[in-house]
Amino acid sequence: MKGDKVKSSRKREAAGRLIRLIVNGEEHVVIAEDRNTLLDVLRSKLFLTGTKEGCGTGECGACTVLVDGKPVLACLMLAINASGKKITTIEGLAVDGKLSPLQQAFVEFGAVQCGFCSPGMILSATALLYENRSPTRKEIQKALEGNLCRCTGYNKIVEAIESVRRGVS
Amino acid sequence: MTRVIGKRIPRIDGAVKVTGEAKYTVDIQLPGMLCAKILRSPLPHAKIIRIDTSKAEKMPGVKAVITGKDAWDVRHGFVETPRYPADQYVLANERVRYLGEEVAAVAAVDEDTALAALDAVDVTYEELPAVFDLFDAMKPDAPEVHPIEIPDIDRPYKNIGGMCANSFGDVERAFRNAYLVRKDRFESQLRTHCYLEPQATLAHYDSTGTLHVWTSSMGTFRKRMHLARTLKMPENRVHVHKSFVGGAFGGKIDLFSHEFCTSLLSIKTGRPVRFVAERDEIFSYYRHSQPMVLDLETAVDRQGRLLGQRARCYNSCGAYRGSGVVFIFLSWGFLVLPYRVPAVDYAGYAVYTNNPVRAPQRGHGAPKVRFAVESQIDMIAEELGIDPIELRLRNARRKGEVLPNGDSIRNAGLVECIEEAARVSDFQRKYSRNARGRKEKSPVKRGIGMGVSSYFTGTLIYPNSSAAVVLLNDDGSIQLLTGALDIGQGAETVLCQIVAEELGVKMQDIRVVAADTETTPVDIGSWISGLTYVTGNAVKKAAQEAKRLLLLSAAKELEVGPEDLELRDRRVYVKETDRSISFAHAITRHIRENDGDPIIGRGSFRGLKEAAIGPSLKNAKGTWSDSYAFDAQVAEVEVDTRTGKVSVVRALTSHDCGFPLNPLLVEGQIDGQVSMAAGQATTEEVLMKSGVTLNPSFLDYKVPLAADMVENGYIDIITEQYEGEGRFITKEVGEGYVSGMLAAVTNAIANAVGFRARKLPVDMAGKTDR
Repeated sequence: MKGDKVKSSRKREAAGRLIRLIVNGEEHVVIAEDRNTLLDVLRSKLFLTGTKEGCGTGECGACTVLVDGKPVLACLMLAINASGKKITTIEGLAVDGKLSPLQQAFVEFGAVQCGFCSPGMILSATALLYENRSPTRKEIQKALEGNLCRCTGYNKIVEAIESVRRGVS
Repeated sequence: MTRVIGKRIPRIDGAVKVTGEAKYTVDIQLPGMLCAKILRSPLPHAKIIRIDTSKAEKMPGVKAVITGKDAWDVRHGFVETPRYPADQYVLANERVRYLGEEVAAVAAVDEDTALAALDAVDVTYEELPAVFDLFDAMKPDAPEVHPIEIPDIDRPYKNIGGMCANSFGDVERAFRNAYLVRKDRFESQLRTHCYLEPQATLAHYDSTGTLHVWTSSMGTFRKRMHLARTLKMPENRVHVHKSFVGGAFGGKIDLFSHEFCTSLLSIKTGRPVRFVAERDEIFSYYRHSQPMVLDLETAVDRQGRLLGQRARCYNSCGAYRGSGVVFIFLSWGFLVLPYRVPAVDYAGYAVYTNNPVRAPQRGHGAPKVRFAVESQIDMIAEELGIDPIELRLRNARRKGEVLPNGDSIRNAGLVECIEEAARVSDFQRKYSRNARGRKEKSPVKRGIGMGVSSYFTGTLIYPNSSAAVVLLNDDGSIQLLTGALDIGQGAETVLCQIVAEELGVKMQDIRVVAADTETTPVDIGSWISGLTYVTGNAVKKAAQEAKRLLLLSAAKELEVGPEDLELRDRRVYVKETDRSISFAHAITRHIRENDGDPIIGRGSFRGLKEAAIGPSLKNAKGTWSDSYAFDAQVAEVEVDTRTGKVSVVRALTSHDCGFPLNPLLVEGQIDGQVSMAAGQATTEEVLMKSGVTLNPSFLDYKVPLAADMVENGYIDIITEQYEGEGRFITKEVGEGYVSGMLAAVTNAIANAVGFRARKLPVDMAGKTDR
């Protein structure tokens, strides 16, 4: 169990240190223990609960965030390793209340059902479109392989991303 | 013509979900919140001799420790009837019956302290012999899981948690007169839901004596009932709040021990307490789908018409009944639904074993029964040299037929479903081509297959019915109060569409207030495939009542009869004129003239109006559902003969779901079910040995990934006819379409390589064909 790993480390709480995170363009200085993951800090210290935890072991992709523009599983990255880096979470995509083209497409195409995978999925797709402005369907599917979705069968998610791809190119 | 209903309208909660604003149970934090953890049995079967919590209780930071002794001897069950009384304690009492059963729970200031406290709880067990295999458990000398006797067991089987038996027609004669009899065993594995949001509960018992609960569920009113009963509290003191739900698929309907424990820990401490299950905890100890072994004997005449069937259904329901006794009842129904069978002899057994408890999963029996029947139909077709499509058409039920339990299939597009699925997929041509392709050199073989299914549209099980309220504010804006819980299927969106249609307003004019047991009326919940039908009709009636009052008020103002008026754009118009007044104006007048009464429309709905209770779980007698959805699904697969890998490339779902209120959402339901079926057919299985789960992670339990996406086609059958009859004739669409797909895949594999799978998931290495 994930908990087993942290059980013995309780007495080392004093090992916390100050780290500086630039999250969605805002600078935050937080105390993080060495063992805290980036996910722990985002969710429990910065209250950015849009980033989800589906497994805690790097298998489901629900915790995907962008670190310096690259998709990263926040549950596998230690917060101290994210110090000084630019982090984008799902809360940082909409500008002045206007959804990003991908967010908008996810809504319009029915790519969202329960929505628990959506933040991670949208960030993986955002990273893909940074790298590759007009990915093929296969490239889209490949880029999303680390993000599990149990509701949609991925069909409408891929369609939503394709619509933005076409919009871009 | 409808304006809003029947249109592809994006879901109303889309924006809050794509921005991360939507708060799921795991996201809700309250000041002073404690962390709960659960101690589980390390043994599959044992007596609890002693539990010593004194050390844990003294630990700094530990606020409460509870065991079975604190749980006042209360039992609960998915079913609680005189024949099947509740059989499970909320916390183990004197005995544990599966590895992982809840023995104690703690609440502490943080997770580390809670885990350390679990370690400090000292439990002395006396191990008992355990039994894991279904058929071993039925042997007379098997270890006894429960000392329970079901009176009408037809053989000296042991550990029978439930039995459902039903027969009709002259079965002996059917088999005597048969041209061909096939007898096959089909096995459906232990598979699981894989909802992405973990099981989680937050409870806060406040100083007024009210328990506030947020829990990841499939219906807040069913949870309230369970919690009120087990905590011995009145329902009005248990306030289950709405939180967004990150998937369920059947896996979150039961009462779970963690929900009770979190609540009781909060009652003991007076502080908010939250429990979140770890993913490996869910894989290892939570409720998966019911596995099934089905022995199916089918007699047909020379033309392939079904004459009779004998079926024996064996289900390992785990250490407590869970939904096992419902599963064996439903399996009878899914056997007799889509095809005409004049004689059937059915018996189903739910068997106790020392495994974790099982639950419904999307389809609840239908996928497993239809896998068997539809596989066998193809086998019969091959033996008789009849086209598999033709064979299905010869047996398909038609509009107006009456089921063995007396339910009428008032409308059924099954024949059209099969014909259209075959035509659009170019089935016959591909089927012959693929069969020829078996002899060719290419290592990758293609196959096409069909499966047929039918599913019910809600039935009577608590809360049985739904109510709704439509409130008109004095500025003309509208609130819909509904107890419906949106678990991702789009319940709130569809209900909002119904109000918008009735009142002639935009979706944005309506605020949906949902799923809060304190402020919204009772609701059937997002399960048993009844929400859109039952709640949808309750909402429709509420909206119609509000409309009636609105028109009365406007008619006075405009000095015409209510029948001369129509609603659009939040105004009431005299038909075919420009004369109008605003909603606000009409509502204000109504308030003034009716002693301050604002316009409130109330509505309620209960299916099966003639029936006092649902059908009998003992003999499947009694009415079951108001209507049935039908589907024929086609799968196209590629089989790599070098590796045995099966890829489901394309699927076509041809279905009769009544009038689709929102085709975008309907397609989403089909996509999800096709994907789930593709996974269940090819890769998914929870592997267990001696009560231990061997693959408790997403790495080792393989659900379909984006790269495994199935290209989907959809054909909605006889939609116009339903529109003509009335636009709210809806049928279920959320569960039935896993079922046809499973056999469609295995039939396609048989078409590709001649391998006939009798066991899921398909294992090409274990070829057993003929």
